[in-house]
Amino acid sequence: MRISTRGRYSLEALLFLALLPEERYASTREISAQTGISDGYLEQLFILLKKAGIIRGIRGPTGGYLPGRDPELITVGDILRSVEGSLAPVACIASGSCPSESECLSRHTWDRLYREISSCIDGITLADLAAAHQNQEKPEFAL
Amino acid sequence: MKISTRGRYGVRLLIDLAEHADESHVPLAQIGERQSISPRYLEQVAVLLRRTGYIRSVKGASGGYALDRSPSEIVIGEVLRVLEGDILIVDPLRPGETESPLQRCIRASVYDRLNARIADVLDNITLASIIGTVDPDESYMYFI
Repeated sequence: MRISTRGRYSLEALLFLALLPEERYASTREISAQTGISDGYLEQLFILLKKAGIIRGIRGPTGGYLPGRDPELITVGDILRSVEGSLAPVACIASGSCPSESECLSRHTWDRLYREISSCIDGITLADLAAAHQNQEKPEFAL
Repeated sequence: MKISTRGRYGVRLLIDLAEHADESHVPLAQIGERQSISPRYLEQVAVLLRRTGYIRSVKGASGGYALDRSPSEIVIGEVLRVLEGDILIVDPLRPGETESPLQRCIRASVYDRLNARIADVLDNITLASIIGTVDPDESYMYFI
């Protein structure tokens, strides 16, 4: 039950962009150099992320990318859904997709799991991640 | 981010056995027919569940399988760990493996949290709660 590399790399790239100073943006090459994710793979992911409005591009030879809106308004769920598609743990959860929908007992379990996953990732914003990163990187002063 | 076919079929196999617990045992062919799952696939899942003590096999021409534990003692999270290997959302860190600060942050803020919530849900659902044989107040099926 894994999040794919698409999802994991997208979160990493977005966190990188969210940590840039105000008004700054970064090219896929810069992001690649910092994260080790291949340039070409980032380009592919960015097509999807751009379409979803999660990032936007600045054109030109010195162009690059930045978050498409306030990081407070971008959730982990938004990012994962735009590159992974549906996050339902089983395909049959989409209503009307299964003929035994009404009598299927296991469906409740998957439904409950899906709601839990959704509420978790929809409750974490890119701004939360950026703040957590800043806390994590703060030097700790021992007593 | 999907539960595998093996995981889904295993849960349905257990539900079917629990619903037919009044019969001493049920042939896989019957379950396959009721659940529209190939008996050959069910057999693979049944072997795993038997080896881990969830079901027992009854040999013979009219043989089959029966639950080997009370439905209230069959925790869905544990069943899925048997069938899926684990119920984690990303590979766990290998000993000695290090991550960049970005990766560390995402693991702590997203993956660890998500893993904990998934485990919490699935470890609180038993086979008994699925088939509705527990106190309604405690059954998630009445949770709206």
